[in-house]
Order: sequence, then C-alpha cells, then structure tokens
Amino acid sequence: MSEITQVLGEISRGDKASEELLPLVYDELRRHASARMAREAAGQTLQPTALVHEAWLRVFGDGGRTWENRGHFFGAAAEAMRRILIEKARSKARLKHGGNQVRLDIEQLELAETTPEEKVLLIDDALEKLQQQDPEKARVVVLKFFGGLTNEQVAESVGVTVRTVERHWAYAKAWLFQSIRAQQ
Amino acid sequence: MSSPTQREEDLFDEARKLTDPDECRTFLERACGGDVALRRRVEDLLTAELDAEQFFTESGTVVHEHGIPLPGASIGADDRRRNLPGEEPLGTKIGRYKLLEKIGEGGCGVVYLAEQEEPVRRRVALKIIKLGMETKSVIARFEAERQALAMMDHPNIARVFDAGATDRGPPYFVMELVRGVKLTTYCDQHRLGIGQRLDLFVQICHAIQHAHQKGIIHGDIKPSNVMVALQDGVPVPKVIDFGISKATEARLTDKNLFTTYAQLIGTPAYMSPEQAEMGGVDIDTRSDIYSLGVLLYELLTGRTPFEPKALLEAGLDEMRRMLREREPARPSSRLQALPAAELTKTAEFREAEPDRLVSLVRGDLDWIVMKALEKDRRRRYETANGLALDVQRHLNNEPVAARPPSWTYRTQKLVRRNRVVVTAGAAVVAALVAGFGTSTWLFFKEREARPRAVAAEQQQAGLRHEAEMREKITQAALLVSLERFEEADGLLNEILIKKPTVEGAAVFRAVGEWHAIHGRWKAAADRFARLLQINQLDGADACTLDGLKQGPALVELGDAVAYERFRQDLIGRFNVTPCPFPDRVVKISVLLPADEKTVASLAPLAELTARSMAEAEGAGEVFQAAWRAMSLALLEYRRGNFAKAIELSQRCLAFPEYNAPRVATAHLILAMADRQLGRNHEALAEWNGAREIFESKIKPREDRGTPMQGFWFDWIFARILLREATALIEQPPAPAR
Repeated sequence: MSEITQVLGEISRGDKASEELLPLVYDELRRHASARMAREAAGQTLQPTALVHEAWLRVFGDGGRTWENRGHFFGAAAEAMRRILIEKARSKARLKHGGNQVRLDIEQLELAETTPEEKVLLIDDALEKLQQQDPEKARVVVLKFFGGLTNEQVAESVGVTVRTVERHWAYAKAWLFQSIRAQQ
Repeated sequence: MSSPTQREEDLFDEARKLTDPDECRTFLERACGGDVALRRRVEDLLTAELDAEQFFTESGTVVHEHGIPLPGASIGADDRRRNLPGEEPLGTKIGRYKLLEKIGEGGCGVVYLAEQEEPVRRRVALKIIKLGMETKSVIARFEAERQALAMMDHPNIARVFDAGATDRGPPYFVMELVRGVKLTTYCDQHRLGIGQRLDLFVQICHAIQHAHQKGIIHGDIKPSNVMVALQDGVPVPKVIDFGISKATEARLTDKNLFTTYAQLIGTPAYMSPEQAEMGGVDIDTRSDIYSLGVLLYELLTGRTPFEPKALLEAGLDEMRRMLREREPARPSSRLQALPAAELTKTAEFREAEPDRLVSLVRGDLDWIVMKALEKDRRRRYETANGLALDVQRHLNNEPVAARPPSWTYRTQKLVRRNRVVVTAGAAVVAALVAGFGTSTWLFFKEREARPRAVAAEQQQAGLRHEAEMREKITQAALLVSLERFEEADGLLNEILIKKPTVEGAAVFRAVGEWHAIHGRWKAAADRFARLLQINQLDGADACTLDGLKQGPALVELGDAVAYERFRQDLIGRFNVTPCPFPDRVVKISVLLPADEKTVASLAPLAELTARSMAEAEGAGEVFQAAWRAMSLALLEYRRGNFAKAIELSQRCLAFPEYNAPRVATAHLILAMADRQLGRNHEALAEWNGAREIFESKIKPREDRGTPMQGFWFDWIFARILLREATALIEQPPAPAR
C-alpha cells in the first residue's frame, strides 16, 4: 500500500487531517499541473502552483468524500483541474465576447485560429457528448488532457491496461476533433 | 455523429497502424463488409487523426519533465524520451544538418552538435525548441530579423545561421558552434577575481552594443546564454541565442504564459520590469541593459538581485510587482547579509578574503549595478557601451558616471588614478556603424511575410536611430568626464532628443555650464534650453537649479524676449507641480523687473516660499532660510513694497550663515530699496558693501577646468542686480517721498 493510499485511508476514517496529505502529493500534483500547462492551454493567468492550490481546495473542499487509493485521488484532482480551467476559460471568453455570452459562438470560429481558452471550451463541450456515450474514454480524456497524467497513471486510476489507455486516448482525440469540426 | 462503439475503436486502432494507404483501404473494406456507415466513420476518424493530434497538443503529446539540464542523462534508449519534443535520434538529418551529438538541454530547447555538408562543411550547434510553439510564426519572426542578424559580426557574438522546422514540427535554429562553459560556471571554476570578471563583462557589453547598433535586441541575456571558450589560452565570452528570444517571444506575455512560465525556471530573475509586464511589447535596448545589470550583480555576488525561486513561488502578479517596485539590495549589502559560511565560499570563488570582497564591491560597483538595474529604464545607462565605460573607469580608478560627482569623490579618484594616458579616447573613436540602407523587405518574396518584414525593418531602423543617439550621449558623457568639453559640445549638435534622459541631461548641463563659465552666453542659453526639455527625471532640486542657470544666461545674452518666455514657462510649470524649492522659481522670475501680472502670478509660489522660510527657520536650517528671505526680499522690491524688501533683506543678512553672492545680493536689494525711499546715504553704503564683496570674490575660477564651478550662477545673478543698482544710484536723486 503506498503511503498516499494509506494516508487517504486515515483521512477518510477521520484519523488524519487532509492537510497532511498535501506534502505527499504536492510535487506530483504540481507536476501534473505544469505538464498540463506546458502542453498547451496558454492564455490563462494561472500558474501550476495556483492550479494545484485551487485543485486541492476543490478536492477537499466538499468534504465527506473518501478515496480508495492514489489513482482515485489523482482522478479527483484531475477533475478539479478540469473545472478550474474551464471556469477560467469561460470567464476569459466572456470578457472577450463582450460580457454576456457564456458559450462561444462556434459559427464564428475558424478551428485553426481558436485561442487556447476557446479550444479548452470546445473540447469540454465535445467531451460532454463523449461522456454520455462512452464514460470510460471521457475519463481518460479528463485525466490525460486536463489532469496531465501519464498513461501509466491513467491506467492505474481507471483500472485498465496502459495499452487500453493509449487506444482510448488516440480514438477519443480523433472522435472529439471530428465532433468539434462537425459543429462548425 | 454516431456513438463510439467498441468495434469502431478496434478498427480505428488497427487501421491507424497501417502506413500504406492501399493496405489500409483493403483492410477496412474487408473488415467492415457491407457496413458502409461504419467504414465511413472509421475513415473520417483516420483523416481527423493528424489534425486532432495537433489540435490537442500543438507540440508534443507526451508529458515531459523539464527545466533543469540533464547532461548525459538523455542517451539511454528510453522510448518515452525519444518522443519528447525537441528530441531527435542522433544521425537524423534536419534540413542540411546531420545531428551528431547532444550537447545540451535547457528549459526551452535541446542543443545538438550537427554537421552541415553544404555549401560549406562545418560543425554547428543546432537548437530545437521544445516549447509548444507555432512553428510557422516562430520562423516568420526569425525571417523578419534574418537580415539584421546576418549583419552582426563580432568576436563575442555567436552567429546565427539558419532557422527552420523539423519534420515533426518544432522549429530549430542553427548557430555558430561554441565549445564553452556557462559564464558563471567558468568564473567560479577558475576562481576569477573581480577584476578578471569585470574584464569579461566589458567584452559582453561590447557584444550587446554591437547588436544594438544593428537594431537587434537580445532579450534573454543570462549566464547560460554567455559561453566562455578559451581561444589561444585566453577566455573569450560569446553571447549565444541572438534572435531566438525575439523569434520565440519567450516573454511572459499573456499568450504564451502557460507554455513558457513553468519552463523558464531562472529566467524571470534576468527580466527587466518592462519585460515582465503583460504584453511587454514596448521593449527596447534598455531592457538588455537591465539584464546586463543582473549579470554583473551575479558575477559579483554569485546571486541574482531577486532569488529565482522566490520569484517563481510568488506567482505571476506578485513577481511582476516585485520586479516593478522592490529595490534589490546593493551588491555589497547583499554580500554582507550572507551567512558567514556562504560569504566565505562566495569570496573563495573570487580569490578574495570576505571583507576584501565586500569592500571591493562597495562604492563604484554598487552604483554601477544599481544604475543598470533602475526600474525606470530612462534612468539606466543609455547604452551597453556606457555601462562598459563606467566599469572601465572603475578599473582605471577614474570617477564613474553612476554617481553624481562630488568634489571629494572626484579628487579621491584623481589621487588614486595612475598617470597613464587614458586610452578611453580610442573608445570614443569606436566607429559608429552606419545603419544599412538596403531595404530589408526586398529580400522577402512571400507576400504574407512582407508586412512583418516592413514592421521589423521599421523597428530595427528606430532602434538603430535610438542606439545611435544613445551612443552619442554616452560618448559625450565620456568626453565631459574627461573634461574635453569642446568635443562633447560638438557632439551635442547631433543629439536630437526630446525625451527625458538622465545621462543626456547631465551632458547638456555640463556643456552649458562650460559655455557659461567662459561667458559664451548664446551657446550656454541654447544648451540650457535643451536641458530644460529633457531634465524632468532629475527631480525638483536639479530642475529648479537648471532654471537658475538658464535665467542669468538669457539675461547676460541680452535676450529679453527669451527671458520673458522662459520665466513665464517656469512659473506655469511650477504653479501646477508642487515644488520643494519655490524660492528658486520666485527669485529667477524677478531677476529682471516684471510687470504687475507676472508679479501677481507669483503669489502662490511666494506664499509657499514664506511658509518654507518659516519652516526652515524653525528647523534651524539657516542656509535655506536665508536664501528664501532673499527671494522674498527681491519679490517685495519688484512689488514696490520697499519697506518690506528692506526688512526681508535685513533678515536675510541676519542669519548666521555667510554666502558671498547671496550677501552681495541682499546688500544690493537694500541699496535699491533705500534709494527708492530717498535714503541716498544708506543706499550708497549698501551699494559699496556689495561692490567690496564683488571685488574680493568674483574671479572666474577656471583653474581646474571642471564643470563643477560651484555657484557661478549665483554670482551672475548678483552681477545682474549690481548693474541695475548701479544704474539706479547713478541717476540724479529723486525727491524724497
């Protein structure tokens, strides 16, 4: 049992405060966050540290949740990161589009020229559809794209093989892109 | 869009592995059988795959560790690493270049030793950018600067030859191969003393100056971009990566914030405040001066002014605020504040005892560094050359420009200076490279590249012009410090600046004073007039003092019209801006008789003067109080309040502080006021008192030929009033009132 999993168990039993987990996972979370950012997603005034802190607050903010293991925990963190990035992208897009339009006017977008935050929103929209039809692949996307996890970590978190993660990720990317393009 | 099914995914997964399109088609035909819709969907997905890949990642798909160079750690046959952006297998041909060996890795790129086969066979350094960047625009930006980059030819600059895109997408740059060690590492490894470090630094400044004269800003000066290589046993610094920072726009702009921020570990420490600002588009050569200041700071103390770690941890906004607002510790204070063990270690690297190191750095070097690190770029050195010259002056035990010269400081230097003929003359002659006239954009055939090229050309032309102006200011400043005023004056005609500048103002001031001391009032007034246009950065003290110089110069020139305009401007300027020296404005504005309107417009300043006189008196600052009393006395005289003028003059004289021109002036005001009141006897006595002071004191002091002539303008002020008083006294006596 990894130390993280052990502490998670103690937290959920109330033996430990959630803050005690932070030092254990901080580096890893931060690595995910900066990988997430390094890959793309420019245009938001967030930085890895801030993303980690916000994600941390979300993950532990709603209290009462329990984590089975490390993979589960990072899954929750990835989901938190996704929400933060989406919120930031929305508010940014709102600012850009004159303050009252929450959704992007996709008609007016040229795919090649979308800004990173618009891209994040487009992907998230398409992801909702994928979620309805194939939750497992959608989860891989959240972990890979928003969470910045490696294939191995995704595999651990979802409970499938690394090979399956690779297949899902390749397929999901093409599928999402198709879906986004079909919208235009 | 149909629901993704397991079957669809399986087919997609199989088909994407087939590289031959025919094979792929056959496979799908057989696998889908009659299900045309399925086959269609898989085909669409396959078509989308490449675009999708790009859409999702722009640069690379694999999560990667980054930041710290990993020498040697990369050669293992790690499959994951091979997929990293910027990583290419050895032996790969990229354009005309064959990768031979990986020689370095940094936050934003991987550097390879590569071989070029044609047109010449040579070894080069090839840097593949691994940040997520849009290759097309990086290359377009590079192309726009290519001509200017090609013009750079300097022994301390590694040349940039080429740029392009690798097959897999990321852009690459090809540079002169420098087999060297990072600047700071070299200095520490070889235990270079402060003097040796400064020698290297001066060479780096010259390299940057050269680039600036070609209109190229480096934009990313830091130790890892300065390599030291031995040439014939002599360490030679080489600045690398010119043009790359600009092309990749590796700044903290909104757009590439995420892609660069995490990876630029260490770099914010070298960034100028204006560079760190959001959308720092208005970057000019003075940003490089700041980075040079950081470099010098680090060479001296082993640390950057702000800890890179603290900057990164502070978060972006706080980091900007720090760079913009927080004053870093002076290098010597920084050293002193170190724990003993660290200071000892730092000193050992510099072949010095800890105490000795601190005292070496304290003074000149502190000021030089702090001037380069000014938050307001207008207060920095105008040019890299200016910075280099100041360092050289320090090395030669000459006074540095970074400190306002005081008499003791200058003489200290004179005593210590060797009587070696200063070779700085040679530096002055350093050829100004004329801008190249060919229109860069003619070289660009692609239509879309043209606007960019034109913009780049205009920007480079603008930068070259500015660089030339700054260079001239630097030269003139040097000439002034060598007391070669005539030559400095010659240069001023070519310096066309309207923007405030500290160094420029100092030159105009010094040359103006030189003319004034020699009684060339027209030239002096002209220099002072331009000084008043550019001295806004110097603070109220210097600004109002400059007014005290221009006033007498115009009166002595006999240009009453210009004097009138001057005083109206001055009153206008200081009636709106609060000024700690209202007495100076009052005094200089009533040097000649003024009409009622002008005198009335001085009322607010007069009131301030009266208040500040009382304050100075209360605080025991008799020097200030006496000057203020004199100003008010003259104003009352101009108002026709002769009794009040007499009272104030006497108050001025009663302060226990003797200043010859002021005392003479007070006697003259008394003489004139007495005369106006018909007290001819008293008037004559006061007039004689003033004359005596003049006879004993007013002799042009040109023995040292320095621009620091004390208070010549106070004497000229008094002399002008002497003329007025003499004319009044020589009039036939008016009937007593």
